[in-house]
Amino acid sequence: MTTPNKLINDLRNLPATVHEVDYRQWGYHLDVLLEAGRVRGFAGMLRAHRFYLVFVSAVHTAPAIEIIYQFACYSRQCRILGRAAVTDNGTMPTISDIYDGANWHERETRDMFGVLFTGHPYLEPLLLPEEEADRKPLLKNGSAVKAADRIRRPNQAGIGTAEPHQGQERDQ
Amino acid sequence: MGQAIFMETVNSLPPELIRIVVTALVIIAFVFLNSLILGYLERKFAGWFQLRPGPMEVGPHGIFQLIVDGVKLLGKQFIIPKEANAPLFRLAPLLAFIPVGMSFIVVPFSSKLQVRDLDVGLIFILAIMALNAVAILIAGWGSNNKYSLFGAIRAVAQNVAYEIPMLLSLLSVVLMTNTFSMRGIVLAQSPVWHVILQPVAFLIYFIAGMAETHRAPFDLPEAESELTAGFHTEFSGICFSFFFIAEYTNMFFVCAIAVILFLGGWSGPPLPYMEYTGIIWFLLKVYALLFILIWVRWSFPRVRFDQLLNFCWKYLIPFSLVNLLVTAVIVKL
Amino acid sequence: MTLGTKNQDRHSFYLNMGPQHPSTHGVLRVLLEMEGEYILEPEPVIGYGHRMQEKIGESLTWNAFMPNTARIDYLSALMYNHGYVGLIERMTGIEAPRRAEYIRVITSELNRIASHLLWLGAFLLDLGAFTPIMYTFDDREQILDILEDVTGSRLTYCYYRVGGVSRDVDGTFVEGTRAFIRRLRSRFPMYDDLVTNNIIFIKRVKDIAQFTPDMAMRYGATGPILRSTGIGYDIRRNEPYSVYPEFDFDIPVGTTGDCMDVYLVRVREMEQSLRIIEQALDSLPEGPCMTKVPRRLKLPQGDASFSVEAARGELSYYLVSDGSDVPYRLKIRPPSFSNLSLLPELCRNMLLSDLVMALGALDLVIPEIDR
Repeated sequence: MTTPNKLINDLRNLPATVHEVDYRQWGYHLDVLLEAGRVRGFAGMLRAHRFYLVFVSAVHTAPAIEIIYQFACYSRQCRILGRAAVTDNGTMPTISDIYDGANWHERETRDMFGVLFTGHPYLEPLLLPEEEADRKPLLKNGSAVKAADRIRRPNQAGIGTAEPHQGQERDQ
Repeated sequence: MGQAIFMETVNSLPPELIRIVVTALVIIAFVFLNSLILGYLERKFAGWFQLRPGPMEVGPHGIFQLIVDGVKLLGKQFIIPKEANAPLFRLAPLLAFIPVGMSFIVVPFSSKLQVRDLDVGLIFILAIMALNAVAILIAGWGSNNKYSLFGAIRAVAQNVAYEIPMLLSLLSVVLMTNTFSMRGIVLAQSPVWHVILQPVAFLIYFIAGMAETHRAPFDLPEAESELTAGFHTEFSGICFSFFFIAEYTNMFFVCAIAVILFLGGWSGPPLPYMEYTGIIWFLLKVYALLFILIWVRWSFPRVRFDQLLNFCWKYLIPFSLVNLLVTAVIVKL
Repeated sequence: MTLGTKNQDRHSFYLNMGPQHPSTHGVLRVLLEMEGEYILEPEPVIGYGHRMQEKIGESLTWNAFMPNTARIDYLSALMYNHGYVGLIERMTGIEAPRRAEYIRVITSELNRIASHLLWLGAFLLDLGAFTPIMYTFDDREQILDILEDVTGSRLTYCYYRVGGVSRDVDGTFVEGTRAFIRRLRSRFPMYDDLVTNNIIFIKRVKDIAQFTPDMAMRYGATGPILRSTGIGYDIRRNEPYSVYPEFDFDIPVGTTGDCMDVYLVRVREMEQSLRIIEQALDSLPEGPCMTKVPRRLKLPQGDASFSVEAARGELSYYLVSDGSDVPYRLKIRPPSFSNLSLLPELCRNMLLSDLVMALGALDLVIPEIDR
């Protein structure tokens, strides 16, 4: 069983920006900011650390849609939230070959946000009917889309982070 | 006394035609009446097993519920699916329904209430009952529905498998009585019923009979959690009720054969005009067995199909063969 | 894997199980590629009951969305209530009075028992046993009556509020619940006789649809089906919320992960829920059941997550707020979604009858998956 510090170090070496979060207020322990290219490495590492996938989803923010990965562990209390902005052409590498459960979550995210997961074996509509496949109902219109820092925890820069980039856009 | 004279007059009526017409009418009436009573009892008992009153609305304690249901089914449109094979689809319910009446010909309700005492009565009735499998196969095939076909194939496999232990166990009785005549078999049981002499055969026959009539826990051809309604998925209205009536009548025959072969037929404490009123004992015994069928159905979960066939081939058939062998040896000695 | 592409080298055909089918328990469709009675490839097709609850969640104020939480999984509505109010309370720092927390635990556990009882009946109905569902409904009816008295509804409760519960419980509730505990305890031996020791039942569920811990991890399976594999993961214990740490209860686990273990885990969970309720009733604190909460409360900027152990597994709410009183994004993670997604792997090369068992063991509530 890995210690939390080892896990955080592993995550930082991905590399990724890791924040420790106050569980009592936000309900998760680690906030991991990733680049799209690191997502598969992130998932593979968590699989090795015996985490399970809670969900994959997305938030429509400016300038890019952000994919949210939540992981938790059967054997100890640790909830990890990974975020990665989609690439410029709106794609994201799939993790469905690492976590089979991601298959459906990614299909749902494609339905709702139109994010294409590259390498996904079967990216067909899951919840939406075929004729509505391109409706992307969870995308927001125009001014309703908020910038990423408007929806970020205010004290994100706070606790014990070694990385200097907190609070900035990750897809620069 | 007057009644005896009346019956004598009826018996001495020369034209065979009148007897045939009367018999046919009585048989048809009995088929429907039996289905009504059995349907009502099934629902009522199911209700009681399940801590609820069962049908209560139509008539006192809901006794007219089945009649109302029958009228409702008559009023329903008979829908033939577009892709179905229409001639077969129409033929199947009739094929299920018509033969069941013919089995009545050989059933001895009492010592004088029997249409014809055929020498091969037992074989006749079993042959007629086996026709049911053909009707189900045609229904499943003609519906052009995969669930129906599943049900039909299961029904045929089940019937073919369970007919063997059923016949073998009945054969041990025949070995003892030396006759296939139903009447002869009943008369052969005058001191002791065969159920005492052949308990294994009785048990095997009853289990096989349950499977033969597709009753739970062997109701795989119409296993609704797997196959929706099995072979009669596509049937509506009166054609559905033909299957329903055929099923109940077959249940009646399975129990009737059990009573005739193992439980002494019409025999019982003497009543006035025993040669006719024996029917009371006969029907009482039959309905007691039917109650067991209902009881089992509402108590047990369903077996899986491979388990069903395994049970037949691995247990029932060997046991019935051994039973037959032992019977043959004892009879020979 | 791909919908509608046949295995060329086998004599297979397609069978549509659902969307109207007795044992899919709702509008689930499972497209089966079959060879005889054997399933080569099952493909669940979902979305028939999709209501876009997540979009509704980001169009209404957080308060106005409350009733919708009960409509996502109508069988464990109080736990969906619980997760949602827990999330808002966690974000805003509001604390519910202890009495309210106790009431939440009692009613949630009653709701869990009701859900498990319905599952028990429906599972046996899938097996072809018609009678047990009437017995379990009889028991469940008692719970619905108790809950109706305090919440005002029988199925889609909207009872919890941010900062407490909408109305206090009285002596009748306590008495009624105690009577129910006695009643259900006396019924378990009967269920054992009728079901657990029934030879046909054992033959049908033993070694059928075995889940493995590895499979559960890959698919994110939670709830009784996970615990049946021997992993004692329960949010009430592993990520405690409300006042669950104050109670003494066990997490029942299985060993092999087959349908029999899932059945046993659920039945034992009911017994443990009774224990929790009993302890909570014994130590039910006096005091108010609601704190003052501002009418138009803005959620702080940021994103928060809250998980509860619903009847079917881990229910997770994830809310992103831009600082207004309308959530910017509300993600609902129902347990059955992940649990159902392992069906293809679980049921490959299985008999059709066993697929029905596997579907039953997963305890699906389709509106929860479709949202």
